[in-house]
This record gives sequence, structure tokens and C-alpha cells, in this order.
Amino acid sequence: MRYRRLPALAAAGPGTWKARRRTRPPGLRRWIAGAAGALALTLAACAPGGGAAGPGDADDGGKVTLSLWSWRVEDVKAYEKILAAFERSHPRIDVEFKAFQATEYNNILATGLSGSDGPDVAQLRAYGGLQPLVEAGQLVPLDGKVEALSGFDPKLLEGAKGHKDGKIYGVPFAYQTLQVLYNKKLFADHGIRPPATWDEMIAAAGKLKAAGITPFAVAAGPDATWTLPIVHEIFGNARYGGAKFRDAVLSGGKKFTDPDFTASIKLIKDLEPYFPKNVVAVKIPDVQALFATGKAAMYPTGSFDLAPVLQANPSLEVGAFPVPPPPGSPVTTPVTPGWADGSFGVNAKSRHQAEALELVEWMATPEFGRLYATELKQLSAVPGVTPPDPLLAEMAANYAAHGAPYMLLVDFRYGQPNGDAIFRDEVQKMLAGQTDPAAVAESLQKGVEQWFTAGN
Amino acid sequence: MPRWRVLVVFLLPAVLLYSVFIVYPLLSAFHYSFFEWRGIRQAGFAGLGNYRDLFTVYPYDRQLWRAFAHNALFFAGTMLIQNTVGLLFALLLFRYGRGRRFLQAAFTTPYLVDPLVVGYLWSLLLNPTFGPVNALLEAAGLDSWALPWLGDTRTALPVIIVVNAWQWVGFPMLLFSAALAGIPAEYHEAARVDGASAWQAFRRVTLPLLTPAIGVVSVLTFIGNFNAFGLVYAMAGSTGSPAGSTDVLGLLFYRVAFVEGGVEAIGRSSALAVLMFVFVFGVSLLAGSYFRRRERTLV
Amino acid sequence: MTARRRGPGRVAVHLLLWGYAAVALLPLVVMVLGSLRPTGEILTAPLGLPLSPTLGSYGRVWTEASFGAYLLNSLIVTCGAVLLGTAVSATAAYALARYDFPGNRLLGAYVLAGLMLPIRLGLVPIFYLMDSMGLIDSLLGLTLLYAASGVPFCVFVLSAFYRSLPGELEEAARIDGAGEFRIFGRIMLPLVRPALASVTLFQFVPLWHEFLYPLVLLRSEEKFTIPRGLSQFFGEYTTDWSALFAGLVLATAPLFVLFVLATKQIIAGLTAGMGR
Repeated sequence: MRYRRLPALAAAGPGTWKARRRTRPPGLRRWIAGAAGALALTLAACAPGGGAAGPGDADDGGKVTLSLWSWRVEDVKAYEKILAAFERSHPRIDVEFKAFQATEYNNILATGLSGSDGPDVAQLRAYGGLQPLVEAGQLVPLDGKVEALSGFDPKLLEGAKGHKDGKIYGVPFAYQTLQVLYNKKLFADHGIRPPATWDEMIAAAGKLKAAGITPFAVAAGPDATWTLPIVHEIFGNARYGGAKFRDAVLSGGKKFTDPDFTASIKLIKDLEPYFPKNVVAVKIPDVQALFATGKAAMYPTGSFDLAPVLQANPSLEVGAFPVPPPPGSPVTTPVTPGWADGSFGVNAKSRHQAEALELVEWMATPEFGRLYATELKQLSAVPGVTPPDPLLAEMAANYAAHGAPYMLLVDFRYGQPNGDAIFRDEVQKMLAGQTDPAAVAESLQKGVEQWFTAGN
Repeated sequence: MPRWRVLVVFLLPAVLLYSVFIVYPLLSAFHYSFFEWRGIRQAGFAGLGNYRDLFTVYPYDRQLWRAFAHNALFFAGTMLIQNTVGLLFALLLFRYGRGRRFLQAAFTTPYLVDPLVVGYLWSLLLNPTFGPVNALLEAAGLDSWALPWLGDTRTALPVIIVVNAWQWVGFPMLLFSAALAGIPAEYHEAARVDGASAWQAFRRVTLPLLTPAIGVVSVLTFIGNFNAFGLVYAMAGSTGSPAGSTDVLGLLFYRVAFVEGGVEAIGRSSALAVLMFVFVFGVSLLAGSYFRRRERTLV
Repeated sequence: MTARRRGPGRVAVHLLLWGYAAVALLPLVVMVLGSLRPTGEILTAPLGLPLSPTLGSYGRVWTEASFGAYLLNSLIVTCGAVLLGTAVSATAAYALARYDFPGNRLLGAYVLAGLMLPIRLGLVPIFYLMDSMGLIDSLLGLTLLYAASGVPFCVFVLSAFYRSLPGELEEAARIDGAGEFRIFGRIMLPLVRPALASVTLFQFVPLWHEFLYPLVLLRSEEKFTIPRGLSQFFGEYTTDWSALFAGLVLATAPLFVLFVLATKQIIAGLTAGMGR
């Protein structure tokens, strides 16, 4: 009964009021004064000088400073070196290279290009990733402005084109190829040579597994789902029929539910015993570590992964081979899938378009291509440039001989949902034992049908 | 001074700041959701088209409900684990002697670390290949307990809920501690004199008096959980790995708005955000008035 | 009350609390250990003891990335935002909680609405807003944005506190002839000091970590905040883990200081409440 007389002492932490009533805090006024003072100081300290002065405005003595944006945080030093060569031959122009976190780059660029103080030249995503900028009219078409583009590989230029207007909006800088990297020493220790047939590859994987080595460093964990379509390309491109199948899908002759495509998905499920245990929990740094420390012998991945692997273990001897066609493949030669990595384009709002064009024109020259290939250990998109690194040169040669587009990235990112986004989720589901290859193919077809119409 | 002028002085600075920098962008986003978008360029009027897309375009139609269900589970699990444990700690520490401050500080420390970092650290610890958690379990002979944790569709979401609770438990603990301190000691003594057991005293004296604090904690937990992003992103990636078993609305929004980009991204993602907002706001208002009524019945 | 009990129950309580304290602190130890290992070592074995501990990563963070400047910027932005946000909220919450006026509930809901916004939603409109105000690449812009983002939470928590204060206090003061501002400043505000400390702490921490808006709104390196500065270690395919860990340890350290100061306030308030 006594409980009923409770006053409404509510909310968290009211208990202090009685004590406080007796001892009024002497420090309060000081506290408020201090707060106000600090605030005024803060505001004064960072008051802008009336509209931010952009780096593009920093002209002195006729010199122009171009701002160049990129998502390659790890390449800042290399780019500074490369751009120094440009500045030497173009003494009137300075280039300021700014790198942003890759995962947030798209937003930063889209807003930056629309604002009053954006970049003059920007690194651009390829294919579907480029379209939002093109359709918003944020880029300068380069047709007829950068002559050297006519000599570029048309396959790579596709990545820099507007999907609807067919105009070129950037100078491609690099392309990526997909193959299996292997540990030369482990292969030698176990008497294995780069396989010439699919069966040889499976036999080698069995041998390695028996020796306690993970045959294929494949990750399907939280950060790695985007690599699953890549793994599928590497093992399955020949099985689904490579570039021919792609043309058939684009023209409407075939669908992803085609038996050949389903069979190519099944290959991943069949290879799962040769992947790390609990592959759905394995992350990218895990497989990089497995491969770099010799606990895994083969790493199906892109040319882009060479640098991180060698960073983890600089003394690792790495080779590469394109996967031999699986049994039943419509294609009978090993295929090296690839795609254009991205390009450099000019901001339509740039106040220094002439200079910006000079810079992207230079990026189409062999001088830039060679510097790029040497400093960054990547495959330059400039025609005629061969990478100095022998392994990369081999990858480039494989691509030149039997290259095929990484279809889901190249053709199926022009609408939502992206083809590869659906596919990666479904393949992960399959590896988690929740779906089968036929259902994965059906899902993919259903997803792209939301926006894709064949024959366009 | 007239009362309205007092009110203006008290209210205006906050309302102004908040309206310009928060409400105005919110209204803009609301406005965006009714238009078609070409990248960052606003195209034609879309009516409810963007909203319809969320419910009809595969796979968003399925992912939307799946994510919603996971958010609901996230909230239920957090209330059950984080807030109960927070209350338990507050009760245990209420009259705890030496080391009380240290323990309070220790329990709250994880909150100081960025959720993205917390997620990353726990993924390392729970890693089935290198992680020490499974190594310890195996060393203790509990091999069957050494699960892939974040790689298993059945355990991934519960693990994330527990890690989230680990990070946030200090928050309900501090709020409940403050509320406990506000209960006059006479009430407990009165209960004891009446011969109530510790549990009865808790159930009939302490708990009712904690209603306002429980209300605040519940509403904030609800809002936080339905906007969950950082920790889930760090532990399950943008796709809600494995196989979408941890996908939440925050991740879906992130994918639609940023990852899969697309020329229509702004319209669709704004529509999704508006839906999330309407739901969370509506429920919070209802919960707020419910708890306020409960408070009044106590008087 | 439980701790007063004797016997096994008491031991269990000690065990539970101290055991959990270890679980709460352990992952942070991993972070510190990671900062002492070179990146190559972290890449080959993500977890492990530093076999040859090195402070090199700290040096790299301090020189290569100008961490000192980031720290100062972060302090300016976060302190400025928290002070401003708390100050305006303390008065607004008071008016909402203690005065009855038409539209009170509506205004309360209006302010509460901001609590439910995913911060990423406003990205594009906020960029345009800042651009039109000339606040791109400005710490002031970031400060104002952050201050505004704290208002809903502060008002929500503080008004709950104000509401719980008994009405006799202000009535007595009013009879004594005190003005409204005097009642607020001298009587009511001091009473919610623990609550002010709590909202300061809970605003400060997420703002300290926030990295999206600095990425989009800041351009020149001398204005970078800590999270914006540390994002330079996240490459597309490679991450400089060692430097990142070191940066995170350095970034978290000031929070501990703040935390100790704030809890002192909060807990002092609690003890005072219990002392009756």
C-alpha cells in the first residue's frame, strides 16, 4: 500500500536534483562561459574566407593547376611520379592528384562533378558504372578531341562509352585479365606443371589436397561475394561458350537458363571440395594470406591481385595459367576473360577544359602507357605498350590470343539489378547449400529481365 | 517579458539549426523520391513509380521483406540480450564496492570504438581459419562448438546481434544506473519491512519505477536497430552475407543507393529511405505516447 | 543489493562482472597489438602477437599522413558541433518539457523526426546545400551539420530529464520573483548536469568516427579530420593495416580521456543522488 504513494519521479537520472538543490554548482557559470568562449573560438578559427577558393583557381603567372581525382589511394606516389613527366613536357600545367576511398568514390565524384569546385579530370568507372555521369551530362565527349583514341582496342573503348549515345567519355587507362595464379615452388615440390587439360588440373588439385595444401584460394565470405562471378568466369567462361554465348544472349538467341550456362555454374559447386573449408566464411585477406604463405597453391583471380599478393610476400614466385576448357565446352581453347578497368575523362564544368584535354590526350600516348605499366604494374590500355613485368606480359599475351569479355560486368551493369550483383548473391547461396545451379541461372535471368531487352 | 518571447529565445536556435541542416535535406530527399533520375540529374516526374519498383522489381521485392524481418529480429534480440544484460549490470553494480567505476568504464569502452572497427575486430576473432575463438573452443574439447559463425546462415545474424550488444551494453547500463539512483532508498526499505523478497521488491518497486528509462532505452534501441548499418556492413558486407541471412534495411539502402549505382539510384534509394523513415517514426511516436501513458498511471 | 549477499552468489557476481570486463576489453587489445606489427606480418597472419614490436606505423601515421593536423581538425569540428548542439538543445528541450504552449507536442515530434534519419540519406541534398552556402571544403560547414545532427537526440534525452524534475522548484523560484531565464540557468540546468554529460558523450563518439561527410565535403588535406585522413590507408585492393591500426589507436585515445571526464560527471551525479 505504501508503494502507491510514489511520486512521479520519472526518467533516467533524476535522482540528482535533491542533492543539487543544496549545493548549487559554483562551476556552472564558468562552464557556460568556457563553452561559449570555445565555441566562438571554434567558429572564428574555421570561418571560410567567403566561398572556398578551389585549387583550379590557383593560377599564378599563367600557370594552371588541374585537379585530378582517383579512387586509387594506394597509387598516390606512383601517380605523382607519372604526372611529373607530364608537367615537365607541359610547363604551363600543374596537376594535383587526389585519391579517395574506392568504396565511396562514386558518390564523391557524382557530387564533386556537379558542384562548383570539382575535379578537372577524373578517373571514371567503366561500362554501367560510367552511365550515371554520362546521363547527367557531367562529362565532355572526347570524340574528335582525342585523336589517339581511334587506335585503341574497340573492346576496351566500350567501357568508356555512353550506352545510349555511343560517344566516348574517357581515355581507358588499364584492363584486367582473369586467370589462375599459382605458386611455382609448390608446383615444383609436388611435381605439378601448369595443366594443359581440365582433368590434369583436377588431378593436380587432388594431389595438393592430399598433401594438406588448399588447392584453390577462393573466398566467398562477406567482403568477397564480388569475386564469385570472377571465379565463375575463370573456370566457366569456356564452358558456357565465351564471346559467342555473349553475342547470342545480347541478340536474344539464348538466355542464362541455357544448359551450357547452368553447367558452367555447376563447375563452381563441383570444385568446392578444393576450396578452403567453410568457404562462405572466408574473406579476401584470408585467401591472400593462404596464397602468399604457401598454404594454398592456386589463386583464381584478376591481374589486379598480383600487387597485394606480392606486398604480403615479396619473395613469392608466381606463375599464371588460363584454365583449360572443361569437358563439354563449346570453346576448345583456354579463355582469358577480361574487361576495361576504367578511363580518365574531363569534367563538363571544368574551368580549364583546354588544359584538361591536354592531360587526357597525353594519357593516350605511349609515354603515359609505359610509365603507367612500369610504375603501377598494371596492364596499360594504350595500344602497343607491353608490360615490362614478364608475368604481366604473359597475361597480356593470353588475353590478346584468346580474350573474352567478362560478360556480367561488361554488359549487365546497365540497369538495376546488376547482373553480377544477382549472380554473386545466388552463387554464395549455392555454396551455402541453399540453392542449385539451375535455380541460380533462373534467378539471374529473372533479375536482368527487369531492365534488359535483347536485340538492342 | 512576454511568454512567447521567452519561448522564441529558448526554441529558435535549435529549430533553426535543425531545420536548415537536417529537415531541409530530408524534405529534398522526400521530393527526390517522386522523380525519375538520370545519375545526379533530375528527369521527369515519376509519381509513386520509385515506390512501386521497390515492391515489384526482382530481387528488391523479396529483399525488402527479408531485410525488414531481419531488422525486426535484430530489435527483438537486442532488447532481449543487450537491454536485459544492461539492466542486470546496472543492478549488480548499483551497490557494488571497490572497482565499480572501473567496471562501468570497461563495459562502456567498446562504445568508444567505431562500429566498422568493432565489426572488423570481431570478424578476425571469429574467423574459422585463423580466429582464436574457435581455436580456444577446440582446445577445450568443444570441437562441435567451433562453428563457422559468420559463415553459417543460422548463426550469422545472432552473432551480429551479440556483438552489437557487446558494443552498446554500456548505454542501457548507464541509463538504468542513473534511473536506479533516482529511486529513493525508502521504497526499498519499505518493501523489505513488508517482507517482500528481493525478486518481489524488484518486480513491484524497482521495475515500475524504471518505466520511463525503459521507454527511452526501447525507443532509442528501436530507432538504432532499424537504421543499423556500420557493424552489419563490417561483419557481413554490403550483401548481408552469407546468402542474405543478415541483410538489413540499412544494407539494402546502401546497395540501391551506392553499390549498384545505376542511373535511377537516387529516386529508388530515396523512396526506400522515406519508407523506412515513415515506419520508424510512426512506431516511435506510438511507443513514446504508450510509455508516457504508463508513466502517468504510476502517479 | 546483490553484492551484499554472502557466499557463492557473491563470488558468482564478481566472476561475472570481472569476466565480462575482460571480454569487453580484449578486442581493443587486438587493435593495439596489430598496430605494433608490420603490414606484411598482418597480411600473412591477420592475428598474432607482435614478434618484433615496432612503433614504425605510428611514425608513418604521424608524418606521412599528417595526423597532428587531422587531430586538431577533428577536435575543432567535434567539440564545436557538440557544444553548439548541446547548448541549443538544452534550451529547446527545456521549453518543450516545462512550458505548455500550443503546438508543443507537434514541435516535439518535429524535432524527434530527425532521430530516425539514416545519415547517408541526405548526402546529395546536403552537398547542394553546402555548395550553395559556400561551405564546401570548410570546417564550419561540417561543424554546423554535425551540430544539427545532434539536436534530435539531445532534445529527446534532455526533455525526458527536465520532465522528471518536480514542479515545486520553479514555482518557488517564480514566487521569489525570478525570471524565466534565471530559473532555467540557475535552477533547472544545473539539475540536469549528468544528463548533459551523457548527451555530450553520446554525441561526441559517433561524430568523432564519422567519415562519409568529410569525404564528400572536404577537399584540401590540411582540413581533413581523422577518419577522412585514415581513409587514405584503404586502397582498392590493398590496405595498410599496420598504419590503420596505429591510426585507430591514436584516434580512440582522446575518446578515453573524454569518457573518463564525462563519466566522472555522470557518476558524480549518481552518487549525489544516492547520498540521500
